[in-house]
Amino acid sequence: MSSARLDPVTLSVLASALAGISEEMGAVLIRGAYSSNIKERRDCSTALFDAQGRMVAQAEHIPVHLGAMPEAVKAIMGRDPAPGDVFAINDPYSGGTHLPDITLVSPVAHGEAAEIIGYAVTRAHHSDVGGMRPGSMPSDSREIFQEGIIIPPVRLVRNGEYVSDVLDLLLANVRTPGLRRGDLRAQIAANNIAEARVGELIERRGRDTVLAAFDEVISYTEKRTREAIRKLPDGKYSAEDFMEGDGATEEDIAIKATVEIDGDSMRIDFSGTSGAVRGNINCPLPVTRSACYFALRVLLPKDLPANAGTYAPLTIEAPEGSLVNASYPSAVVAGNVETSNRIADTVLAALAGFAPDALPAQGQGTMNNTIIGGPGWTYYETIGGGQGASARGAGPSGVHVGMSNTLNTPIEAFEIEYPMRVERYELIYGSGGDGEHRGGDGIVRSVKVLSPASLSLLTDRRRHAPKGVEGGEPGKIGRNLLNGENLPPKVSRELAEGDVVTVETPGGGGYGHSAKA
Amino acid sequence: MSAIRLGIDVGGTFTDLVSLGDGTLITAKVPSTPRDQSEGVMNAIRTSEVEATSVAALAHGMTVATNALLERRGAKMALVTTEGFRDVLEIARQNRPSLYDLSIDRPPPLIPRGLRFTVRERMGPDGEIEALDEESLKEAVAAVKEAGVEAVAVCLLFAFAHPEHERRVGEALREALPQMHVSLSSEVLPEFREYERFSTTAADAYLAPKLAAYLKNLAGKAEAAGVPAPLIMQSSGGVVRVEDAIADAAGCVLSGPAGGVVGAAYVGSLGGYENLLTFDMGGTSTDVAPIIEGEAQTTTETVVAGVPIKLPMVDVHTVSAGGGSVAWADAGGALRVGPHSAGAEPGPAAYDKGGEEPAVTDANLFLGYLNDGAQLGGEVVLRRDLSEKALDSLGENLGLSTEEAALGIVRVANAEMVRALRVISVERGLDPREFALLAFGGAGGLHACSLAEELGMRIVLVPRAGGVLSALGLSISDLRRDYVRPYLSALEEMDAREFEKRYEDMEAAAADDLESPDHTRRADLRYAGQSFELTVEADDLEKLEERFHATHEQRYGYRMEDEAVELVSLRLVATVPVEKPDLDETEAAGDAEAERREANFDGEWKEVPVLDRERMGRGSEVVGPAIVEFREATCVVRPGWSGKVDDVGTLVLEKADE
Repeated sequence: MSSARLDPVTLSVLASALAGISEEMGAVLIRGAYSSNIKERRDCSTALFDAQGRMVAQAEHIPVHLGAMPEAVKAIMGRDPAPGDVFAINDPYSGGTHLPDITLVSPVAHGEAAEIIGYAVTRAHHSDVGGMRPGSMPSDSREIFQEGIIIPPVRLVRNGEYVSDVLDLLLANVRTPGLRRGDLRAQIAANNIAEARVGELIERRGRDTVLAAFDEVISYTEKRTREAIRKLPDGKYSAEDFMEGDGATEEDIAIKATVEIDGDSMRIDFSGTSGAVRGNINCPLPVTRSACYFALRVLLPKDLPANAGTYAPLTIEAPEGSLVNASYPSAVVAGNVETSNRIADTVLAALAGFAPDALPAQGQGTMNNTIIGGPGWTYYETIGGGQGASARGAGPSGVHVGMSNTLNTPIEAFEIEYPMRVERYELIYGSGGDGEHRGGDGIVRSVKVLSPASLSLLTDRRRHAPKGVEGGEPGKIGRNLLNGENLPPKVSRELAEGDVVTVETPGGGGYGHSAKA
Repeated sequence: MSAIRLGIDVGGTFTDLVSLGDGTLITAKVPSTPRDQSEGVMNAIRTSEVEATSVAALAHGMTVATNALLERRGAKMALVTTEGFRDVLEIARQNRPSLYDLSIDRPPPLIPRGLRFTVRERMGPDGEIEALDEESLKEAVAAVKEAGVEAVAVCLLFAFAHPEHERRVGEALREALPQMHVSLSSEVLPEFREYERFSTTAADAYLAPKLAAYLKNLAGKAEAAGVPAPLIMQSSGGVVRVEDAIADAAGCVLSGPAGGVVGAAYVGSLGGYENLLTFDMGGTSTDVAPIIEGEAQTTTETVVAGVPIKLPMVDVHTVSAGGGSVAWADAGGALRVGPHSAGAEPGPAAYDKGGEEPAVTDANLFLGYLNDGAQLGGEVVLRRDLSEKALDSLGENLGLSTEEAALGIVRVANAEMVRALRVISVERGLDPREFALLAFGGAGGLHACSLAEELGMRIVLVPRAGGVLSALGLSISDLRRDYVRPYLSALEEMDAREFEKRYEDMEAAAADDLESPDHTRRADLRYAGQSFELTVEADDLEKLEERFHATHEQRYGYRMEDEAVELVSLRLVATVPVEKPDLDETEAAGDAEAERREANFDGEWKEVPVLDRERMGRGSEVVGPAIVEFREATCVVRPGWSGKVDDVGTLVLEKADE
């Protein structure tokens, strides 16, 4: 490892080049992908890691993906990776988050000696990985085996060639093998681009300079993160919030977070949080970490590059076997997409104690996961809602607010591809909380199925509304309806031809007292 | 004899004119008149002293449409859309613009909630699902009337394939409100994906009234002055008649930059360089574009001021960094340049207008690339002592000497430029080493040799007319119109006769719009199941599939011959070519060396010759390190580079083998 310090100029120049590489990976993955969830909704993320498994640069796509990548890379590093390999992993208990997110990790090699100088990583949400229900996002799983095929860290590619035994085994266990093959190929292409680009960068700048840049980009970011934390007062604040049932019960399930700041470091403790539950809203530790990283990032300067340096000043204590640090073989599929939002909400609420003006009122706090599938097809969508208002102005309407930032599936693409029709897709005016600044409005999306299908909904904030701040009113809660009848927040149902599923997403909380009051 | 072609380009500061006839080039530069750009246009004609009667054509590039979009000062307008879907424009693609800044919203939609009206109807992929309800149409028309708007966008689901309902709505609106501008999504952009189509259509309706007023006013002034009716530059890089420009308003948003790219392609081709990366660096922003085989490339993925406009536009990539970008030290101790710009007020520290932070221009001045005491546009005089002071205090914050700070600013700014150039080359599958770098704009020549070195490029071109290249591009622009027809089909199952018929339809439409145009057939294809299309030449049906595989491989690094290929849209580009005269460069006027001054290259101060481009001519040589001062720009010839002025007046610099 080179220990040469880079001057402030070279640092700036190389940080820009590294960010460019991870962004190009993202573009290649999205362009080459086959499934709507990746090509239209961009439910995928890309990043570059150094040889020690630290994230150097990432394309800013989906928060819940990115914070959880280091575990996947660590897992692969333990498997003796060689140049020309591509590893696949989705096992939440050895570096994954939930089974639909398949992560591919490729060693990035350099020079004649093929020295491994880093790793290229892509993570994409595959809209079916087998399991008990189409779409692999059931609301009623009780252990992980029901949620799909489990992929421990395995070689999918060796020496540049598919390990066809592994690929065949994988594809034999999913409902839409053609799409999976196409999506995996796009991920591999993105990883390959990273190796080519890093190689070109080394050709121009030299190996030692590029490796020094990996180091320094990270320590630069850590320095600035610590700077930002030091500006907050020392102290300790706690907050508590709830998940509305776990798919097995309708009970509220508590999440408690205590944030402590001491000088330039931060500690988040989840003592007091509920134990792991029978349903599938449990989180493996990497998901909890992602949510904490997200909350921290919201407080940091926006121009900070995203890499391992951001997370260095943060320690996380999550009791083993709890909702936020589940153990094998708890079911976890909704932890990644729903509980992660509530963890972020709770940590942000505690952080508000340190920096009351920096944070908006609560946003919709759910991804409104909608999964519908039939013979040979699966559809996965998350739906935007209201963002909370802030001192700066009204909350945005109809957007993703937390751990996701996927695009919608265009109605015209949706109806060409699936035996379904969208009956309504618009904002629910007035669903944002009232206040000096109004919260953003939620969305209503109604879908009619044109042939029998299976439905799963994984949603939240159907009882506890997103809170306002500084006297602002809460946003309106969301609702799930089947042919006009209320459904629980987390539910799976068989649908008959002509059934209409309607999801109304929550509005964001308001900011400040309304002038009318 | 009426042989002169005028090109007039309106920029932020200056309005440039080029008069081209028999190879002689006359230029004029007058201040722009932002309140009514046509005044500057007419002033430019007067200043140039061109005889009105000798003008054969007047081509015009402007920023009226771009500015209206950027400043959200277009028409007050309404939307008529399918019931149940009134907020497609506001929801957009439902992603937030900044992952971690939770209070930033997207730019507001062009049509506010209260002006979105719906009709009961529904088309699906296979045609009508629900008939158009005449009662709801009547109500929508009444609501539009009541709203007192200037324009209306009609955007119904699946109208790209089944436009019947949309046409009926348009008809009813035009009947009830004959004065109002109506844009139909099936006419503006017959392609699938509702948000992007609606957005393009809304932009069209939003811009049309403003553009119509401006262009009619200009046409009137031109007529009064006795010059031909203006031809208007479109974003696609071709010009159209005023009435066609108004009918296709969304196609005018990149009217300004398109001229520069066309001009660069022209000048490059004249000198025998057909593969170029253009580099136009100005005060606040920089435009880069690829030119392949002498042709500007087009893309349909442009977003202007937060509004996606999916029409063919010159593939220009813009970054907000330029000579005015301010350098600063961030909290982590890194040297950063931009995105904040000092603009013209206060401007770089050297302007002595109160700017205290060093900008890129200050670094260039301190390093000796720009001349201490040089006059810019008549009034501003560059003061190196002020640059030095600003650089000094920045350097102190970073633990750098003044010189290191100046060199660092140039390197960091160059890194941004390199990244921009990589986006339009490497990331498109193009190897920059096979291209020449064509530099223009006030600051292009200052940075070009360094950028070429970074990218492994061996040739830098600096055209004589670099200060007015957009206007030059206008003066030689072809008439051009673009057509598109959806045709969703597996390539294997495609009906060759139907394929031919759709092109013939478009060619018939082109024959109505233009006088015996040339045709270029193109098609958008993808692997069945993918969502993004690539456009390839479609003159030969047999070669279509292989061309697609090859393009996919070039762009994304792999091909999949075992996968089915799918056709999505057919495109026709119709052009009426304009004769492109050669440019003549005069003989050199004696020794061009004006002075010698100290300049810094990679940390070493050297006394280098400063050549006056006006005294150079055909065959004049330069050996780096040297500086060449053009009339409106400066070129730094780095050590290891040398070159000469070619027959058309372009300074061609080459890097010596190492």
